[in-house]
Amino acid sequence: MLRSLIVDLSKLRLCPVVVTQVREKGHLTRPRLRNPYWFVRKERLARDTTVTPENKTFLQEVIKDKYGPPALIKGIPSYDQSALIKTEQFERQPWHEKARRCGLIARKIGQYPLWLKNGERIRTTLLQVVDNHVIRYIPPQEYQPAQRPSVVNLNKYGCLLVGAESVDPSTLTKEYCGLFKDSGVMPKRNLGRFIISPEAAIPAGTPLNVAHFRVGDFVDVRGKTVDHGFQGVVKRHGFKGMPASHGVTKTHRRPGNIGGGGEKGRVWPGTKMPGHMGNRWRVAKGMRIWRINTKYNVMWVQGSAIPGPTNGLVYIYDTILPLRKHKTAPPFPTAFEEELEALTGGRDDVWYEDVHDFKNETITFQPDKN
Amino acid sequence: MASNKIISRSVLNTLNRFQRLTNLRTYSSQKETLAPALAKRNELFSQEQRRQQEAVGRVEKIEVRYLGLPEDVTLAMNASISTPYNCAQHLSDGHCKRSALALKDGNVPWDMHRPLTESCTLQLLNFTVSDPHLVNKAFWRTCSFMLGAALQNSFTDDAHLQLHSFPGPNIKSGSFVYDVVLRAQNWQPSKAELRALSAEMINLASKDLKIERLDVNNELALEMFADSHYKREQLPSIAQQNQGRVTLYRMGTHIDISRGPMVASSRFLGKCTVATAHKIANEGEKDALYRIQGVGLPAGFTLDHVAYSTLEERAKKLNPARLPNEPFEETQQQIA
Repeated sequence: MLRSLIVDLSKLRLCPVVVTQVREKGHLTRPRLRNPYWFVRKERLARDTTVTPENKTFLQEVIKDKYGPPALIKGIPSYDQSALIKTEQFERQPWHEKARRCGLIARKIGQYPLWLKNGERIRTTLLQVVDNHVIRYIPPQEYQPAQRPSVVNLNKYGCLLVGAESVDPSTLTKEYCGLFKDSGVMPKRNLGRFIISPEAAIPAGTPLNVAHFRVGDFVDVRGKTVDHGFQGVVKRHGFKGMPASHGVTKTHRRPGNIGGGGEKGRVWPGTKMPGHMGNRWRVAKGMRIWRINTKYNVMWVQGSAIPGPTNGLVYIYDTILPLRKHKTAPPFPTAFEEELEALTGGRDDVWYEDVHDFKNETITFQPDKN
Repeated sequence: MASNKIISRSVLNTLNRFQRLTNLRTYSSQKETLAPALAKRNELFSQEQRRQQEAVGRVEKIEVRYLGLPEDVTLAMNASISTPYNCAQHLSDGHCKRSALALKDGNVPWDMHRPLTESCTLQLLNFTVSDPHLVNKAFWRTCSFMLGAALQNSFTDDAHLQLHSFPGPNIKSGSFVYDVVLRAQNWQPSKAELRALSAEMINLASKDLKIERLDVNNELALEMFADSHYKREQLPSIAQQNQGRVTLYRMGTHIDISRGPMVASSRFLGKCTVATAHKIANEGEKDALYRIQGVGLPAGFTLDHVAYSTLEERAKKLNPARLPNEPFEETQQQIA
């Protein structure tokens, strides 16, 4: 290794914070199988067979008149609502350290390597922000969720309902479409609630872009992990198993002993055993954003530890890790369409300062002069 | 618990809003006592029906050639007694349930419960035939007729509702219509009231009420509608055009004047919305003429909410059909 090549690991902080998220029988991680009382069925089950083709085209025209013509916006098939949605004028509040901003709903679209200017190769995951619009803001006095999120002093925070991925309303129920009536936004496939401070409220109908986060910022990414199904202890808990040969009889991937004896001679609750693995909500904390593309609303985040499969939905938040929080004001409450040019300097791609831009000349190393 | 309080509060609010309707009472499923005028009208109708049945005398046979599925057959039926519904009973239960209208001799639309008088060919029409324009018109007419019944059932006595008439069906206009007179000069229906009226329509549909036809002479019709000033006004001109006879239709206890034909039963109404009420003109000092409009689909047809709300929006526009207070031309079609 060349001595002129100095790798400052602590400065670059390449490793994400490793928090052991243990697979537990906890009530917080178990999937909820009963719908809450306010649940609204989303998809229409009936399919009309009696509508003539002319009427079908007419109805598409009606939807076009109401929501705008279909268009490919930032790489996502959507409807061009720029002429239709009038977001009311509101006063922007200044950012302060304790302020909680809203997040984004994105899809994990793949992984790609990036190189730092010193030649170091880093793995990054691409997250594309898919057609986000603010649906509704619920002020702190009105926001009383049935399942309270674990946030300290929740009564001080409001809730911002954000939707992702526009969908044809005729495939949805009327009740679900009613959620979007006030904002005038096209009904969305996915919804997400973000707990925010009242200063960070955004008017309904505002589109959210990836420029809401800056390069170099740290984010927490929440996703549902890959569903591995029923798995044994070797895969599930990382047990070593037994040798494949040398006289081992009928025991290669089994857990082996599951308890001691004595006074408490029983299997302890929480003993690691085979069972369902995956399909749980997990948060990967403290992921750095290395690069942003505003043309397709994509961000490159550190590593490959984003929960979930490719094309899975993830929710992106400002990190809660104390040493990686914002020290300077981020776009508050968000980066609006009009300011995108100013923020990104007119370019599509924004790279973190340590990252090698592919458009630049290749990295070269000077030979060591000894 | 907070969530329980929220549930009961929202339920209570809905109930309170429903019960606080102005000008409407919540519909009671059984009318224990009919209004005397309505009871008399029904009694006269039933009497005349019985009299006409008994007046047939010697039963003569007619040949009814049924054309259609499963095969063309010739049925021997009784003149002036057998109805197309009876012919359907010879075929199958499915034919009885599905047929909305009969087609006599290939071009004359005929009510399912109207007796056939001579040998003819018969086709049984439902809403899925290749050329449904006759059934559609009959359906639209029946919707107007049912709207009259729903209005009669829903308004309180304080409203002094008087049914006027309904114009001929025009599906392209986007709505079916009933014109009424109310003792209120600036009534605007609220959303809850419109919903209650739509619910009443669905109620009538779910009761599967047979729609019967009766031809009466002018004097009997005048006696039957003795309480209704507007109906009595229309009767002479209707009778004049129809050789002194007036066609009446009965559904349950509701009787109205119409040229016909109507579909066989109220169960053919599927989704229905009473869209709006437009004020047409003032009638005297206290009353005013209103045009109630609605839109509906036959039973068995589903539409997504986007398409159906488009239909509802269209039904809110004032229907351009002939207004009852306008002088009508002789050449134009009469009250349908």
